[in-house]
Amino acid sequence: MLVPQLINGLTQGSLYALIAIGFVIIFGTMNLVTFAHGEVYMVGAFVGAFALTLWQLPWFVALLLGMAAAWSLGFLIEKVAFRPLRTAGHMPPLLITIGLSIMLKDLAVILFGAENRPVPSVYDQTIRVVGVQISVLQLVILGLAGLLIVVLQFLIQGTKIGRAMRATAQDHEAAYAMGVNVNRIFSLAFALASALGGAAGVMIGIYYNAVFPIMGATAGLKGFAACILGGLTSIPGAILGGLIIGVVENLTVQFLASGYRDVVAFLVMVLVLVLRPQGLLGRKLRTV
Amino acid sequence: MKTRVLIPLLFALMLALAAAAPAWSGEPIHLGLSAPLTGNFAEYGQNWQKAITLALEWINAAGGVGGRPVVIVAEDSKSDPKDSAAIAQKFTADSRIVAEIGDFSSTASMAAQPIYDQAGMVQLSPTTSHPKWAPGSVWSFGIVGTQAGEGPFMARYAVEKLLKKRIAVLHINNDWGIAAKDNFVQAAKELGAQILAVEAYFETDKDFTAVLTKLRGLKPELLYVPSFYNEMALMSKQREKLGWTDVAIMGPGSLYSPKLLEIGGSSVNGLYTSAVFFPNDPRPEVQKFVKGFEAKYRASPNMFAALAYDAVNLLTDTIRKVGTDRKAIRDELAKTKNWPGVTGKITFTERRDVIKDYRHLVIRDGRFALFDK
Repeated sequence: MLVPQLINGLTQGSLYALIAIGFVIIFGTMNLVTFAHGEVYMVGAFVGAFALTLWQLPWFVALLLGMAAAWSLGFLIEKVAFRPLRTAGHMPPLLITIGLSIMLKDLAVILFGAENRPVPSVYDQTIRVVGVQISVLQLVILGLAGLLIVVLQFLIQGTKIGRAMRATAQDHEAAYAMGVNVNRIFSLAFALASALGGAAGVMIGIYYNAVFPIMGATAGLKGFAACILGGLTSIPGAILGGLIIGVVENLTVQFLASGYRDVVAFLVMVLVLVLRPQGLLGRKLRTV
Repeated sequence: MKTRVLIPLLFALMLALAAAAPAWSGEPIHLGLSAPLTGNFAEYGQNWQKAITLALEWINAAGGVGGRPVVIVAEDSKSDPKDSAAIAQKFTADSRIVAEIGDFSSTASMAAQPIYDQAGMVQLSPTTSHPKWAPGSVWSFGIVGTQAGEGPFMARYAVEKLLKKRIAVLHINNDWGIAAKDNFVQAAKELGAQILAVEAYFETDKDFTAVLTKLRGLKPELLYVPSFYNEMALMSKQREKLGWTDVAIMGPGSLYSPKLLEIGGSSVNGLYTSAVFFPNDPRPEVQKFVKGFEAKYRASPNMFAALAYDAVNLLTDTIRKVGTDRKAIRDELAKTKNWPGVTGKITFTERRDVIKDYRHLVIRDGRFALFDK
């Protein structure tokens, strides 16, 4: 049962990684933390669920719609909560995102109801690989998460916009002096991070067959933990952090009991931070 | 959320006003209802409310109780212990309310219990089945039967009827789930079954893949899951996705809801459960209720509607005998013997709970059917 548990863990971990990368992008470019990221993920999940159930769209269209909705919401949050307070320091935007998070959660309860909304499953089949039964959906999720990460890396490392983002991350005043439209880069970074969160939301909805208003709370926390574990500003670190948390959780259920899954996952995070305060792949330099 | 509570309330008020058109000889008699009208248990609470509305319509059309109409004051607890306790404060402080129906889960009912106990108001729960609940206060009454009865029944179903000997248990980690697990496990062991593992999940859990993968490794013949339709539906779908099909799934009567079929789809086919109420029961009181419910709501009543229907009728019958004094209602209610409910005869034991007759059910082709083998 070790191999199936590892696959369960990697699948879940890859989704934590997508959320964690969002935190890294936002923290990396703007040096700010958002606590509304979990709710952006929740909104993406709901839009995906509606696309699948009410509008009967194929799953990849639902995924794109969920990402688009999260992108727009992220864009809006940056405009409303971050831009006017750019010079106000760390605290005000942080508090605003906490407020936004509560507001979005309660709004979802009012609009959609507090109950679980069932989401139809896709790829219900399993395949056998060297004697181990593997869910096709898990492979699809792993593949999609991987694909999104590759596309993101290309965007950041291989395009002009990516170069502008990296420059802004290193020193936004210098980047501004060199003619980079820093405001646009901030908007873009926030929207991009949100879209990844939205993608994770849609996939988790399909994976667990349910979406619900408070789903963002734990997911946001786990994603943030993965981001810290990985070193706050490192995308490979966030991926590693997400996968470690996912795998540790599932192995805890296997070898201890399901009640301990979060206890052990966060214990690992605390231990890593005690032994290596900068995180697994963190550096002193701020880079995306 | 507010409007969801208000609408049923207004509805009840309107009904009361409409019904009040004939000359009533006194003020309305108020009953409190503390139930999950929204949230994850909403379907259960809404079924209660439908059944109670129907019962009161019939009672008031037939002249009410002692020439007075009966009205219900409904509050949404979401089956959350914080809310059920606050509602208990509100109800007991309201001198118009003579007795309370609710709450849904054992945890919510037990959180409110000391408040009803201190104030001296009957707390009659249609569904609370924790063995320690009804004995906990002389004011508490349970009519669903306890896990002390259902646990051994399910164990016999699994071991003697289905001949499954290797059993794993996955239960919801709350008061009811623990009682359900303990009673089943003890009885199954006495019948010679082997309990391979006992795992718990939390009410908020949505990911069951890890724990299912773990249990699968133990190769049980039957998985006993004291849970509710929401988690069971998700669990079944995730189990199907993992490709684990060579196991029988069984859970107590808490699963008996059309929502399980709706959300679970094909993944819940073959699931074994139980019920104290079955709509095809030929007894006249059952058929009157089923026909009336179907005519009014265009849907079949489920066990939870039936239990609430019994609760409100039992209370109004008691009030008819002794009037509206809170203490007199309690004393008379405790004497109830062979009262003919749609969920079977109700006779309170000295612990103020009842012994039920259960039916063996199985899901076949997307519907609940009697198991006959």
